[in-house]
Amino acid sequence: MMVLASVVSTLTAALLAGLIMLSLGAIFATILLIASEKLKVPVDPRVAEAYDALPHLDCGACGYPGCSGYAKAVIENPELLGKCAPGGAEAANKIAALLNLQISSDGPPHRPVVHCRAHTGNKTFYGQYNGIQSCTSANALANVQACKFGCLGFGDCVRACKFDALHIVDGLATVDYAKCTGCGACAKACPRNLIEMAPFGQENMMVVACSSRENGRNTRAFCQVGCIGCGLCVKQSDAFKVEGNLARMDYGKYEPSGQNEAAYNKCPTGVIVYRGKSAPAPREPKAKKPATGTA
Amino acid sequence: MDTILILLTGFISVVLVNNLVFTKFLGICPYIGVSGRIDMAFGMGLAVTFVMTLSGTLTWMIDHWLLMPLNLEVVRYVAFIMVIAAAVQLVEMYVKRFFPSLYDSFGIFLPLITTNCAILGLCLFLVVWGTGSLIEAVVLSFGGGIGFTMAICIMAGIRENLRMVDVPEALQGAPITLITAGLLAMAFMGFAGMI
Repeated sequence: MMVLASVVSTLTAALLAGLIMLSLGAIFATILLIASEKLKVPVDPRVAEAYDALPHLDCGACGYPGCSGYAKAVIENPELLGKCAPGGAEAANKIAALLNLQISSDGPPHRPVVHCRAHTGNKTFYGQYNGIQSCTSANALANVQACKFGCLGFGDCVRACKFDALHIVDGLATVDYAKCTGCGACAKACPRNLIEMAPFGQENMMVVACSSRENGRNTRAFCQVGCIGCGLCVKQSDAFKVEGNLARMDYGKYEPSGQNEAAYNKCPTGVIVYRGKSAPAPREPKAKKPATGTA
Repeated sequence: MDTILILLTGFISVVLVNNLVFTKFLGICPYIGVSGRIDMAFGMGLAVTFVMTLSGTLTWMIDHWLLMPLNLEVVRYVAFIMVIAAAVQLVEMYVKRFFPSLYDSFGIFLPLITTNCAILGLCLFLVVWGTGSLIEAVVLSFGGGIGFTMAICIMAGIRENLRMVDVPEALQGAPITLITAGLLAMAFMGFAGMI
């Protein structure tokens, strides 16, 4: 009887405590419920959808810290559409659909082209550079190598690349097009502006891999594989043009054709090369005429 | 006049003499964790002050008007923690709504105010100190928050300047922060016995 009484009294006390806690909990739950409705932060569901449409690489090519930052910005400001280089037209179209916008296609994807084909053996040096091992530092020195336009090979672009798609191969920056996403970080990093973001209409593009604006004789003097501006390619194909001792390909006009192939074969220095995922190795320069005096 | 004097004495006591951080060593987690920059430390201090005032007042009311008459002091801890958790939730919603950047920079430390022992400590100290009236409870809990804000801001100021100091390698980071905290606590011991 005594045991029963103590159990009952304990239960009675516990019941009261439980009831008090229950009612307190209910009051706070109600307050929080009202507050959560009043203080709700509206989140735009399109931001999450835009983020899903992006490639989640966080490369920063768009100018925002990452894909989530860009997704937020592009939903607020549709003018930022198409800034995502790795996502390309696909991502831009998806985001445009979210915003009820129609965008015209921005054409083929852009991929970097290094406008130089001189490896260490092709270059001429006046001396040895032992300074800070970066292109930006070396470029400050006028005579770091004979060619004022060519690749320095210290790899500023390699460090800029987040996708391991660029490597210095024997003194020349070489793009691995299978890994490249086209973010354009390398083009910004190059102090000599050697890297151009070219529209790749074909899997392999024909490009003039030189930037030298020296006249033909001077270019020949320090580089066997530079463009001498002879204009032989222009005679073969409309896709080429020569300005300021330098031939350039008009990428919009390029297609694999007999004329372009002829230009490729006629080039005396072999500076016209294929660049792309399955590009053939560049042609060797034709046998050089005996030099009539060097600079 | 007497009431005001008592309130003032209590306020100064809880801010300087019985500072929760420096003399009771409560709330050390945010005190070390969020004291990197003064603006963040100040924001944290304000959030803690708000939660502390709210929960200190509410717990005093619940304790005196509900639990004590019913002899239910056993559920004090549970009830207090519930009040604090609800108050923190409220603050979190408010900060998220009106100060998104502050919300982002707080990160995990904002919900962690729930488990900030300084707040539960103060609520329980109000019982230990035998706080007699509601107004005293409000002033003391507000003072506790102000004391915390002062402590964390002093710490943040020192740490901002510490960045430009040549600290020995072995003491860089957390060790020098803890040494600083210890020296600060010793300095505040000087107030002991003032009231």
